[in-house]
Amino acid sequence: MPTNAPTEVTPNNSQTTPRSRTVGFGVFALLVLLLALAFVVSLSLGSVSIPLREVVRILTGEPALKESWGTIVLDFRLTKSITAVLVGAALSLAGLQMQTMFRNPLADPFILGINSGASLGVALVVLSLGTAGTALLAGLGTLGDLSLALAASVGAGLVLALILLVGQRVKNPTTLLIMGLMFGYAASALTSLLIYFSRPERIHAYTIWSYGSFSGVTWNQLRVMAPVILVGLGVAVLLTKPLNALLLGEDYARSMGLNVKHARFFILLSASLLAGTVTAFCGPIGFIGVAVPHLCRNLLRSADHKVLIPAVILVGAIAALVADAIAQLPGSQYVLPINVITSLFGAPFVIWVLIRQRRGATSFTV
Amino acid sequence: MPGSQGVKVEAGVSPALCRNCKSQDKPGNLPRFAPQSTFSELGGGLDDTITNITQPITELGYFFSEVIMKKTIPILCVLLLLVVSACQTAPTALPQPTTTLASSGAIASPEANSQLPITIRYAKGFTLEYKNNYKILTVTQPWADAEQAFTYVLIPRGAEIPAEVGNALMIEVPVRSFVAMSTTYYPFLENIGKLDALVAVDDATYIYNPSVREKAASGKIAVVGGGMGGPSANVERLLELNPDVIMTSASGIPELDVYPKLQEVGLPVVINGDYLEQTPLGRAEWGIFIAAFFGLEQQASQQFDALVQRYEEVSALAANVQERVTVLTNTDYQGTWYVPAGESYAAILLKDAGAEYLWEDEPGSGALPLSFETVFERAKDADFWLNPGFAASLQDLLAMDARYAEFKAFQTGNVFNYNARVSEAGGMDYFESGVANPDVILKDLIKIFYPELLPEHTLFYYQQLR
Repeated sequence: MPTNAPTEVTPNNSQTTPRSRTVGFGVFALLVLLLALAFVVSLSLGSVSIPLREVVRILTGEPALKESWGTIVLDFRLTKSITAVLVGAALSLAGLQMQTMFRNPLADPFILGINSGASLGVALVVLSLGTAGTALLAGLGTLGDLSLALAASVGAGLVLALILLVGQRVKNPTTLLIMGLMFGYAASALTSLLIYFSRPERIHAYTIWSYGSFSGVTWNQLRVMAPVILVGLGVAVLLTKPLNALLLGEDYARSMGLNVKHARFFILLSASLLAGTVTAFCGPIGFIGVAVPHLCRNLLRSADHKVLIPAVILVGAIAALVADAIAQLPGSQYVLPINVITSLFGAPFVIWVLIRQRRGATSFTV
Repeated sequence: MPGSQGVKVEAGVSPALCRNCKSQDKPGNLPRFAPQSTFSELGGGLDDTITNITQPITELGYFFSEVIMKKTIPILCVLLLLVVSACQTAPTALPQPTTTLASSGAIASPEANSQLPITIRYAKGFTLEYKNNYKILTVTQPWADAEQAFTYVLIPRGAEIPAEVGNALMIEVPVRSFVAMSTTYYPFLENIGKLDALVAVDDATYIYNPSVREKAASGKIAVVGGGMGGPSANVERLLELNPDVIMTSASGIPELDVYPKLQEVGLPVVINGDYLEQTPLGRAEWGIFIAAFFGLEQQASQQFDALVQRYEEVSALAANVQERVTVLTNTDYQGTWYVPAGESYAAILLKDAGAEYLWEDEPGSGALPLSFETVFERAKDADFWLNPGFAASLQDLLAMDARYAEFKAFQTGNVFNYNARVSEAGGMDYFESGVANPDVILKDLIKIFYPELLPEHTLFYYQQLR
């Protein structure tokens, strides 16, 4: 699929016609509206049923009917919803960048092993450092609830550094892709080794982390997570033009005067920053990063990153909010792992969209 | 036994779950590679490497398929047939400990027995039958929802083998050497003075018992692996040790359990299902199961009767309290708060200690995966917070999640954890000797909730977090 792209890719990319632009605006207005709606819905849904009117009162700073409701909305749901928005946007955008850069429809934000690096960092803390029962917190206690995120960031950062280093040396993106895979395998192997020598309750704790969750993020963590993700998103938006050029292959991009080496460095940097930060705070969140870019290409019938980048940010945020709302199983007191929901509900939906839009659409043209 | 109330059910399953999740976060399954056609268009170094690698591979493949296969296929077929037929006859040759309940139903006359029969009162997972000159131990619940029972025939050393044994595993008692693949067996061995018979343990790291730990560290006791969730068993070392009995727990998933492999090589492996017992007394009654292998079940039974009496006396103290305290347990983990259900080990202890456990009406004996906000809504004003995971201080708890400070129990300092006795490496005595001493755990709990009822008692397993 990716190899015959150059002939197919042009239909309505960078030279957007006036007509398609107005259509685009309509779509974007709708998406923004949907995002706002999803945000409100996610604030008002949860295991504890709180009337919408109360939620609004709490948000506007008025005292709630029940004291615990105030804490639930402000400290639990608001953090969770903001996290979902950031995570959805970050993963979708990083996924789009990876798919374009590697011209591979199956690429996701974690294809270069960022995730495995982060997992290794967390495994080191949860599985090995924590053997003394309290060493986990004694060693990193001063950092408060940032310790796990820090461990994951260090792991992801190491893999990122390796990729950037290699990325500057190898010419071929596919070689880079394979090397990323290899880093990932190596990190996974070390994680497996740690699991092998761990106690069941530690393995259980690690397993829960690997299911992914938006609910574990506190205000304290958001203060670190949000700025990093916003920086990553900002860098990615600045890379719109290079991404469009790369759509047509590195040789073509080079002929257009693009410094491919620089472009690749910054794309890798922002995608890894986004993916690594998300994994550090929320655990490995699958599916969104690979599915949302496809969804947006179909929805907008465009491969132009000027349109796609804002679209994946919006759709990604909506998807994460909806997935989280389902995971909370409104009305019941149970909660499901987020990864289960994204894949279980997301996969059929994406298949349906792809099949429906097949006729007369550009479909996937990276 | 690491199966705490929250983890109890999951303990056996989590490695499997983990395998699934590992494959998820792996950097890519094979399909994520670019389609093969791209390789040919890449040019450059990679292409050359690929041809260089594939060349010898195809040659080798040709050699293998054409030369080796043609000549060896008939031989292989014959070999395969031999192996298959050997496998089919093997079970009768090997000692086969597994029998169905029906086949062990040979009824002998109990009146000829010189010993007083012992009734198992609380444990649901095993039965003890007395025959003429031997005993039959049947583990009816080797793992959760098991449909298979395991029968062990204990005959006096040197006695004649009874005919009706069938193919159940026969063990000559008293056993002289014992391999324990869970730390929960140590206190029971200690109670009957047989800790010396311990020749090997599964893992040396998390032992609390100082004498066992010291012996494992100095090599007097072998470390052979095979515990739940830990490294796999060192079968060769076990064969060399040739113990009279190996005791282990099982999850019912043959790939994860150690017993099938040991059984296959003819080692005397016995399954212990203590962690599946819901009641604290039921769990402690497994001491009789262990003692039976030493012919000391009478002694263990008397000790157990005394334990039951102590347990019920203390429980009676708390039964009539006017105002019951409310209790919350465990901690949140990434938005999921595993809460022990109402019929679980932890919930029963809390009930017997006269507390109002906030989820005591939830059916089931496992753990419920609740959302943080559900727990917060129900337990914000709970009087006591017990067993908060790995935390050893209030600061630890805050470090895990700043929102814990909103709980009333946190604000009043009524947070207690069972980590008063922890070895340097993290072995917790609560999970080790606690299984054999539920009366002490109960006393701890009552002392925490209603200190005036037990003025003399000082906390043993529990400590208050500060």
